[in-house]
Amino acid sequence: MTQTAKVALAMAGRERIDWAARSMPALHSAIQRLAKEESVAGMRIGIALGLDPKTANLIIGLLNARALVSVYAPSEGADAEVIAALEERGVEVFSDPAADAEGNLELTRALLHTHPQVLVDNGAVVTRLAHREFPELLDTMLGATEDTTSGVRPLGVMQDQGRLKIPVIAVNDSPLKYLFDNGYGTGQSCVMALLDLTNLQIAGRKVLVIGYGWVGKGVARHAAALGALVTVAEIDPTKALQAQHDGHRVCAIAVAASDCEVVFAATGIAAALTPEHLAALPSGVILCTAGGGDFELPMHFLRSQSEPRNLRDQIDEYELADGRKVIVVADGHRINCTGGEGNPIEIMDLALALQVCAIETLAQRSETLTPGIHPVAQDAQSQIARERLTATGASTEPLTQALKAALVDW
Amino acid sequence: MGERANEATPRAYLPPIFHALGGPLLGHNSDFYEALVRDGEARIEWVDRYSPVLNGLVKQTLSDGSLRGKKIAVVVHLEAKTAFLALALANAGAEVIVAGSNPRTTQASVVAALRERGITVTAEADGTLASWEKELLAAADHAPEYIIDDGAELTMRVGMHRPQLYAQLKGVSEETTTGTERLYALEAANKLPFPALTANNARCKHLFDNRYGTGQTTLQALLRLTNRKLAGAVLTVIGYGYVGRGIAEYAKRMGARVRIVETDPVRAVEAHMDGQVVGAARDLVPGAHFIVTATGGMRALGEPEFAWLDDDVVIANAGHHDLEIDVEALASIATRQSPGRPEITTFSLGTRESGEREVHLLSHGALVNIAGGSGHPVEIMDLTFSVQGLGAHHLVNTPLPPGVHVLPKAVDDSIAAALLAAKDIRLDAPRPEQEDDFKDWINGIGSS
Repeated sequence: MTQTAKVALAMAGRERIDWAARSMPALHSAIQRLAKEESVAGMRIGIALGLDPKTANLIIGLLNARALVSVYAPSEGADAEVIAALEERGVEVFSDPAADAEGNLELTRALLHTHPQVLVDNGAVVTRLAHREFPELLDTMLGATEDTTSGVRPLGVMQDQGRLKIPVIAVNDSPLKYLFDNGYGTGQSCVMALLDLTNLQIAGRKVLVIGYGWVGKGVARHAAALGALVTVAEIDPTKALQAQHDGHRVCAIAVAASDCEVVFAATGIAAALTPEHLAALPSGVILCTAGGGDFELPMHFLRSQSEPRNLRDQIDEYELADGRKVIVVADGHRINCTGGEGNPIEIMDLALALQVCAIETLAQRSETLTPGIHPVAQDAQSQIARERLTATGASTEPLTQALKAALVDW
Repeated sequence: MGERANEATPRAYLPPIFHALGGPLLGHNSDFYEALVRDGEARIEWVDRYSPVLNGLVKQTLSDGSLRGKKIAVVVHLEAKTAFLALALANAGAEVIVAGSNPRTTQASVVAALRERGITVTAEADGTLASWEKELLAAADHAPEYIIDDGAELTMRVGMHRPQLYAQLKGVSEETTTGTERLYALEAANKLPFPALTANNARCKHLFDNRYGTGQTTLQALLRLTNRKLAGAVLTVIGYGYVGRGIAEYAKRMGARVRIVETDPVRAVEAHMDGQVVGAARDLVPGAHFIVTATGGMRALGEPEFAWLDDDVVIANAGHHDLEIDVEALASIATRQSPGRPEITTFSLGTRESGEREVHLLSHGALVNIAGGSGHPVEIMDLTFSVQGLGAHHLVNTPLPPGVHVLPKAVDDSIAAALLAAKDIRLDAPRPEQEDDFKDWINGIGSS
């Protein structure tokens, strides 16, 4: 790449980072506190979040709080402009847009070779790798934070088996994260990314949402808001019952398959949609993933069936042995990150402010934190929620002495 | 209806240096040109997949040969869906001339693909208002007999600048609310010497295109250009026609707090009954995070309203006119104007002492869903362009007096029926005994 092209990339990246900064008051105030208390000065922090203008604001904020930051971005979540803008500021970014799974793994190792004391992880990818290959590093680590449902699940298994050696703060499990990031952010951005990429209409379309966790709920809600006929497939009967009460049709994939036009996998677990399911789907069905990853879709099977035919940007078509066609968006990766610009800024303000609070806890209370999964501190969550309310012109009901008394009355 | 190149990908943010390579300067044999044609072809093929009515009913109707040799100008936002309509007319034997209805919405790859198929295109991508005027006059100079128009842009210019050709026009089919009003005004002024169909007033057009098409895609563009969130945001919509209603309804369902500014009292009551907050700009512009104009008129958001804008508000236009937000007036009162992300211009108003406010304008005030977005959904345009295609067929085959006409109800109904059939949705036919018994009453009156 020529120097001119690099400068142009970095400039475009800077503009988008500055735009995001305008709508992130909670993150900025958390960073200011971090800087004032010098909690992370000189500390090496490894970031493994999808790289976009919002996460770039977290990285820049940590730099301003005098932390040393190294960044790993997987190939499908690497934004060239943002990377250029960060590199311009001297951030070490381990990323290669052309990397395959093995290449990404090598980049993850490179991140660990910088000896991060705190890991900000996504999908517990780096935390798990550290446990497998860098056990000596765990002794010097203060801990990690985890951003996603798909990461907290394996960490929970590790904890149950007594194999989790560091404290991990489950940012994902804060209601400020899952209620908004998963429920509204991912819901809005996944549905909109599908429409942006396909230029199709969603009103009247039969949409199957697999999984009715927070992401599935958000996708179903936004698709229905725009007129889709939504069916939900869910293994948990309570969640399925909730889907029904939210106005969606509820049934097994096998029952819904024959007349569905769009499938959103929103489970976070592997093989949510199987080759057997594919056999029942109509030709021309559009498959995409919300929230988790391409492992939710039968991508290996599809690739074994035919070479994909690229129909338009991010849209490929596979032909099955019987001649039916299956359309896959964003190569089966998370549609909102790969095919769009990720979650909305205001939503990421909440999630990233929570990350800062989690980093702060790891930095300040490392002696008292035991290995295992911990929640984000309650007062920090309330503080962040209050900041966003104030920033949008809203307020909370004052808690008077009378109300306080009434709350504890029995 | 437009489709921005590289939509919705990080690649949409290529630095200007790359865009500079995309103009018409390149030779037609270059690899770049071939790639451009392939991209245009792929876009048209995608439209083909999701256009059951154009591929069925319309193709079949046009195949009667009546369009053979007829000169038809198609002047609609020049992207893949418009190209598909132009090709349908050309395949039916018409001599088609294509131009764009807005200088900001013409797509280079689609132009290249059309030319490659031998269609005359007088428009280029990345034009200015001046180059666009020339392109429209170039289209006029091909002496079309019929015009499929958007905003009556070509019709008005032929009337103004090519009076002989205007006198020879055999018919116009018009796409938009704005253009329809222009045609009615021409008729009232006794200056419409040919029959004009208002495709816009067909139910298969305005019920869906204006409301659902513009509604969905305006929100898509708003969110994609800003990467912001609707749930919990305050969105003020100016104008509660079909376009305004679609935006308001979808936004509300996605969790926005919607406010409607409307001058027509009946429409205002409609908004009220729809559960929307309704009132005057003075009351509903302050406090808004997003403002979208959808009046179809001009200066809906002008100098008086600019005084009431909050700091950091995002403003965008969903109506036909680039002037629906008075950008010139905004620029003249701004102390500073700075480009930010692609398609966003930030205007600084006021001074630091009096309180500086920053206002973000999307897509320079042009129709945000087309100039800055992925355009109308394919399926919506299948309906709209079926109205236009069958409208052209109707104009050619039916002797009509000069004046503004609406597409016959039977044609309108046939489009809806074709879509339902393609979707395997069957309806009941009304039975005679289900009809109101007014005929019995009328027969009974005075007979006893």
